[in-house]
Amino acid sequence: MKEKGRDNSLLGLAERFVEFGKTCGADEVEISLVEGREFSVDVRLGQVENLVEAGSLHLSLRVIKDQKTAYVTSSDLAEETVRRLVRNAVVRAGLASRDEHSGLPPLASEDIDIPSLRLVDPEISRLDPSQKIRLALETERIALEDSRITNSHGASFISNEVTAVLANSHGFLGSYDQTFCSLSVGLQAGGTDDKVEDHWASVKRHFRDLETPESVAKKAVERTVRQLHPRKIRTQAVPVIFEPGMTNWLLGFLFACVSGVAVYQKATFLAERLGTRIGGGNITVVDDGLMPGRLGSRPFDSEGLPCRKTTVVENGVLRHFLCNSYAGRKLSLPSTGNADGTGVSPNNFFLLPGTATPQEIIASTEKGLLLTRTIGHGLNPVTGDLSRGAFGLWVEGGQVAYPVSEVTIAGNLEQILNQIEAVGNDLDFRAPVCGPTIKVGELTVAGE
Amino acid sequence: MIHLENPFRLTDTERKKILDLALSRGGEFAEIFAEYRLFSFINMEEEIIKETAESVSLGLGIRVISGEKTGYGYTNDLSIEKIKKTALTAAAITDSGKTLSIPPFHKTPGHRDLYPLSRPAHLASLQDKIELARRAYRACQRIDPKIQKVKVLFQDHVQYVSVVNSEGQIAEDTRPQVKLVCTAVAEKDRRREFGFSGGGGRVGLEYFERVLTPEKIGREAAEEALRLLEAVEAPAGEMPVVLAPGHAGVLVHEAVGHLVEADFNRKRTSIFWDKLGQKVGSPLLTIYDDPTRPSFRGSYSIDDEGTPPARTLLIDRGVVHSFLQDRLSARLMGRELTGHGRRQDYTCIPIPRMSNTYVDRGQDDPEEIIKSVTKGIYAERFEGGQVEDSGKFTFSISAGYLIEGGRLTAPIKQATLIGTNIDILQKIEMVGADLEFGLQTGTCSKEGQEVPVTDGCPTIKISGMTVGGRR
Repeated sequence: MKEKGRDNSLLGLAERFVEFGKTCGADEVEISLVEGREFSVDVRLGQVENLVEAGSLHLSLRVIKDQKTAYVTSSDLAEETVRRLVRNAVVRAGLASRDEHSGLPPLASEDIDIPSLRLVDPEISRLDPSQKIRLALETERIALEDSRITNSHGASFISNEVTAVLANSHGFLGSYDQTFCSLSVGLQAGGTDDKVEDHWASVKRHFRDLETPESVAKKAVERTVRQLHPRKIRTQAVPVIFEPGMTNWLLGFLFACVSGVAVYQKATFLAERLGTRIGGGNITVVDDGLMPGRLGSRPFDSEGLPCRKTTVVENGVLRHFLCNSYAGRKLSLPSTGNADGTGVSPNNFFLLPGTATPQEIIASTEKGLLLTRTIGHGLNPVTGDLSRGAFGLWVEGGQVAYPVSEVTIAGNLEQILNQIEAVGNDLDFRAPVCGPTIKVGELTVAGE
Repeated sequence: MIHLENPFRLTDTERKKILDLALSRGGEFAEIFAEYRLFSFINMEEEIIKETAESVSLGLGIRVISGEKTGYGYTNDLSIEKIKKTALTAAAITDSGKTLSIPPFHKTPGHRDLYPLSRPAHLASLQDKIELARRAYRACQRIDPKIQKVKVLFQDHVQYVSVVNSEGQIAEDTRPQVKLVCTAVAEKDRRREFGFSGGGGRVGLEYFERVLTPEKIGREAAEEALRLLEAVEAPAGEMPVVLAPGHAGVLVHEAVGHLVEADFNRKRTSIFWDKLGQKVGSPLLTIYDDPTRPSFRGSYSIDDEGTPPARTLLIDRGVVHSFLQDRLSARLMGRELTGHGRRQDYTCIPIPRMSNTYVDRGQDDPEEIIKSVTKGIYAERFEGGQVEDSGKFTFSISAGYLIEGGRLTAPIKQATLIGTNIDILQKIEMVGADLEFGLQTGTCSKEGQEVPVTDGCPTIKISGMTVGGRR
């Protein structure tokens, strides 16, 4: 290691640690450094409640020797600590088993134009703390003006500025910056014994794209008060309309089932279904890491492979699993730029919108449940079964009639994907995993 | 006690200087929380030790409280300049003007003997830990050829925390934690099912010889997956539910525990905020939270604010008795500290949390409880639950049985139970004498912070609950 004139930038640090790993006897070394700056303010009932500001730097590292792998993470970046961890990792790798599928991916030839992804908003670093506090206070103030709102969980403004650096012994060296900001508020309505609650959050990379305090407050109020005075319903099988937030949740479950890691582990019911029909012709699901300005975009994944666009489900047919290089080698499938640490994660993973407006979808429903929230666990990728506590609005004669609570919904992902009768036009990319309003032909809704 | 070299070399003079800076703009309270954690991890799947990992977490957080306001900063750069800057960041929460002076430091002793271990995992060789993983793996795999996939994870960490505050208090804790879990996928006629088991706690490796062997963990995971291959769809609708002892403690955790956390009551968002001293449930129901159960995963000798914890009575024969307090809520509510201020790590502000939560034993014979149900379900294993402050909660059964004519009959598949807490608490009809705790593997998430917990309960009968099955 060079002692004189050494490069103390993150890139320089990463390269030095890669070199050191090779000196210790590793065949392959991969280092990732993430530097973050975080600001968050929570306000409640007109007062600042919590104010957090911090900076941090974290290291993750992978070494491979004789096709045996060891990992390290550390928030202690002292040179002496990192050297000890690297030396230990090479020794520990010796105790793991030889795995012919292990190893870093080959250096990719493509180069993604990082600025075109619009991951950074320089305005975020220039925002004054008092401006961020004002936005949170303003959001809550507007929400509390509504007399139906009886209590507040508080409003928050959060901003993050993150630099990610990746270097490996195949010669990959890359880095990119990204920013995030969010404005949210959580509310309660009703008295002590008939409380209802909900919240709304706007999360963006660019400050100018963030919803206004008025918009966040109004949506949170509307979502909360529409649940007031719920009724119980009888157990029955009815059409269920998923609001976009609920479609996001369903797609998150689909992602878990098409993850290449789950596939080679046989931990998904879709493991042997590549090329077969798993949903209706109106279902096309895409993972795309290269959409400018979107929350799930990034130039390369955690192994340094360029991100790309992958059609996962095409008109109902399962086309691709999402793989890191390890899962890809295990399954003899291409790596899709979804590597994240030791697993895979979605980039922008979304259901392509249809043409119906949400209003048209509700109007087309004689009787059914408009699903607005679920709570609990109850997702089983091995079987595709899902079962959750649900909140929603009862639809009768094509109109929202009254709120319902204390129901559960139960079904199976494949059955749901095969009976989606309508796909809405309201895809909004408000989360990395997202979809529009959808209407499912029939699900069991358990009540009284 | 176990020992870990303290990497924080702050002198008392430096500590005082940092706290003075934190209070330089005013405020009633300031605190330095320092954390050093060493973590190791082994993953075995597909017959091989696929990978091992080692992690170091080192950093400190500085908090300033002024009225109901909290300023917080954290850093993993431990240079004295950076720590002072972090103190000034936290100080920015107020500008009321300095009034406090810091008394001489004194040490607060924690609970003793909560971690009585003989073979600390962080000092054991990696080979020894790998062998534990292999034993669980082999035991799981050899139960039945229908077991198609096995995965075993071993994790251990040792966490040193120190708390120094403007009241002159200094407290330290060095907490071990071990976890060995096994998951199995069984397959028959193209149907796949999943099983899980595990154990651990604030123990050393001797636990896996004396208390729970890796073989038993592997076997239980396999047996659960195999049994689910034969499971039928759960019924849907309202019916009596019998909670099996142990794992069903998660219901208590969700339905009651979160709603007696002091912050939700101080803010009046919990439905319990105005119910202290009031009857909310069956007189058969008594609930405690106890951070001082030796070796338990959720235990600690001081909480993350330096307070020695105490067993806390939450519900006394159906009446709300007390809330789980941290410093901020206790002071604002004028209540005693209970030692339940916890945080995930140094990047987080402490908040009131549960530790080991359980329903006290009752009088009923567990067999009689099952016999009393003509048609209902027996909820045995759970994969978790969720509650909101309104009292609505769900929890997910991952394994259970139908009860027909007072007997357990067919195993049932995954189903969700939903209810409103006061309604369910009043419907508790029988409580068994057989208190057990669930797996020593659980984690509770609140406001994005995860902390280790356990929960427990005896056999409990609830006269009616909505079951979200599919038939």
